[in-house]
Amino acid sequence: MRTEAPLVLAQAGADATVSTGEAVAFWVLGPIAVAGALCMIFARNAVHSALWLVMTMLSLGMLYMLQQAPFLGFTQIIVYTGAIMMLFLFVLMMVGRESSDSVLEVLRGQRLMAAVLGIGIAGVLAGALTRALTDVPPAPAMNPWTPEGGGAGGLARVIFQDYLFPFELTSALLITAAVGAMVLAFTDRHSKQGKRSQRDLVEARFRGEYERPSPKPGPGVYATSNSVATPALLPDGSIAPESLSSLIESTPTAQLQAHRKQLESRAAGSDTHALLDPEDGTGDGDAPAGAAATATEDKA
Amino acid sequence: MNPFLAQQMQTVEAPGIDWGAILPMVIVFGAACVGVLIEAFVPKHQRWSGQVVLTLGSIAAAGIALGAYVSGRPEHGVVTMGTTLSIDTPALFLWGTLLALSVAAVLMIADRSVEPGGSFVAQAGIAPGTVQDRAQVQSTGMQTEVFPLALFALGGMMAFTAANDLLTMFIALEVLSLPLYLMCGLARRRRLLSQEAAVKYFLLGAFASAFFLYGLALLYGYAGSVKLADIATAAAGTDRSDTLLFAGLGLLMVGLLFKGSVGPFHTWTPDVYQGAPTPVTAFMAACTKVAAFGGILRVLTVAFEATSWEWRGVMWAVAIISMAIGAVLGLTQTDLKRMIAYSSIAHAGFLLIGTMALTDEGLSGTLFYLLAYGFTTLAAFGVISLVRDSTGEATHLSAWAGLAKRSPLLAGVFTFLLLALAGIPLTSGFVGKFVVFSAALSDGMAPLVVIALVFSAVAAFFYLRVVVLMYFSEPASDGPTVSVPGAFTTASIALGVIVTLLLGLLPTFALDWAGAGGFALGG
Repeated sequence: MRTEAPLVLAQAGADATVSTGEAVAFWVLGPIAVAGALCMIFARNAVHSALWLVMTMLSLGMLYMLQQAPFLGFTQIIVYTGAIMMLFLFVLMMVGRESSDSVLEVLRGQRLMAAVLGIGIAGVLAGALTRALTDVPPAPAMNPWTPEGGGAGGLARVIFQDYLFPFELTSALLITAAVGAMVLAFTDRHSKQGKRSQRDLVEARFRGEYERPSPKPGPGVYATSNSVATPALLPDGSIAPESLSSLIESTPTAQLQAHRKQLESRAAGSDTHALLDPEDGTGDGDAPAGAAATATEDKA
Repeated sequence: MNPFLAQQMQTVEAPGIDWGAILPMVIVFGAACVGVLIEAFVPKHQRWSGQVVLTLGSIAAAGIALGAYVSGRPEHGVVTMGTTLSIDTPALFLWGTLLALSVAAVLMIADRSVEPGGSFVAQAGIAPGTVQDRAQVQSTGMQTEVFPLALFALGGMMAFTAANDLLTMFIALEVLSLPLYLMCGLARRRRLLSQEAAVKYFLLGAFASAFFLYGLALLYGYAGSVKLADIATAAAGTDRSDTLLFAGLGLLMVGLLFKGSVGPFHTWTPDVYQGAPTPVTAFMAACTKVAAFGGILRVLTVAFEATSWEWRGVMWAVAIISMAIGAVLGLTQTDLKRMIAYSSIAHAGFLLIGTMALTDEGLSGTLFYLLAYGFTTLAAFGVISLVRDSTGEATHLSAWAGLAKRSPLLAGVFTFLLLALAGIPLTSGFVGKFVVFSAALSDGMAPLVVIALVFSAVAAFFYLRVVVLMYFSEPASDGPTVSVPGAFTTASIALGVIVTLLLGLLPTFALDWAGAGGFALGG
């Protein structure tokens, strides 16, 4: 573990002063990071805010790399700007860009409080950091191969040696999550219990699984009437009962009920489609019944 | 010098792995992965049989591996996989308990005779109440993913009880919880209730995990390590900030007590027990409790024994609150599943008394209590699943009136189980309470034992109320029917009843094994 002493020694001298390149990079990246953070707060559009934040994160990642923490820098860029911010954007797109633009204050004085507290905490942080960072001797660069060094090598040592088991155990967690998502979201539409296709439906209709193979007949349309309450007529001139809606109160429906009652009382087992004699007819005045009566007379 | 180029290659040695010790857990996790593959590649009509054979076979194989290891185990346990797993006597006992309980639970999960097609929904993705949903009520399929999920949960529980550091413990906690959240929402009947239970359990469970994680972070800040042994060393004698230690311990315990459904962290228990499919409730009530209290025992004994004077008062209060909530609110319940849920909260209080003792008797007593309670409650849920009417299980108390006239055998079995839960002699419940309370007495917790006895008596009242209802009431004319269980549920209930009886008559064997050794304290 301690074989890499020359590396530490070689860097110890350079750490005492900040090299020109690092200073230039800092003064370029630092303002960009701050500007990105400020623009994120003041941007009116939520998507723009997210993009400004991406810029801040990128600058921070590069600053980490300048500080000889390349692994942390790349992780910052890959995880934060790559994964998390894109997730933010996805959510924003899903929710809809417009809905996040509301400037209505739900809680009274919320913005004022947020501003006061935000400036307060910024002051506290700045004060504490300024005090903590004066007269600090620069630490020698840490060896990235030790766990404390924060490099990929040190992390690998922690993950694959000390904490190999928890690392492997997370795979169980990921499998469970994937299986769970499948269980909760997947429905097998092509299975027998799933939704029927049009073809299946037609075959099932003619196999007799449904009440009737065809749709119900529509209402009758005549020169005298095209109301939905007008019954359709069968080829023998009688009223097609399926064409009458039970939801709509109409004279023809009432007449049909009356006709049927009368026929049932007259003889058991008689054809309910057969019409009454015109002289027995109760509703001669109505157009459909009249039409039906005419049809019967014609046939006779 | 450029750090990008200066890194010379170094090898990371793999940690030493004692395969013999961890073989039972490896078998369970391996079988869970194979189960997922079965879901992917085996045709639908063969999946159920394949999964049942695989699941029961793997649990049996894990049991055999455990038995083979136990006979030649090192006396003080072994720390393996780096320092993350500690396979010591309590861990082995808990593994045995978990494997035995999960055999019974898996048998109930696999049963398809009590409810045609099993108690799990055929396709969970179909929204409840739709046309497709009404169509699938008639189907005899089931979501066979519950078997690998149950195995994952079981593996997580085994890892949890053996975890030697808080990080492993946290991940194991998630591994055991996530499948349970899912399984709660897969009931065939009353699907909205079941899904509500799953969402409640998930949200509250995630919240509790956050507490655990926060506690972990504070303890890391205190001790500079997440290993239990290092925390113990740090707490034993330093001038570090006690605030971090006790805040960390408190938050950590909130997460653990939530999983053990100890009041006042119990609020999820009645709703989830009621809404989840009954086999899952049985699995949760038995196995999760074993795992959670195994974890609590290890954390308190290994890491916080030195500070026990500071936290014991708080734990007293928690135990009393838990017993009070369980016993008093249990009295007011009209639903049997909710009643058993409150009974489990009361039992969690009793268990906590044994956990607090931190003596060898306390440890062995708590382990024995967990074994006894697990089998009793599992069989009780098995019996509850048999009494049904047209809408599914008839869990309302009024439906159970006069059940003894309709089915004397079922009423007899349920009476026996309720007496065991109440702690009447000749049952395992009595022996469990006896060993736990005597351990607490010898550790100077006499007032707490008196309080516990009072609450035992209160709790016994609502168990006996059900017994009286079953034997001395007239059955309702439109009452539920008692289904004749198939081989699986019969085996599961019989296992629970026989173990309850055996542990009540001949507890010595199990007590000896439970007291065979303490936790491995090495780091």
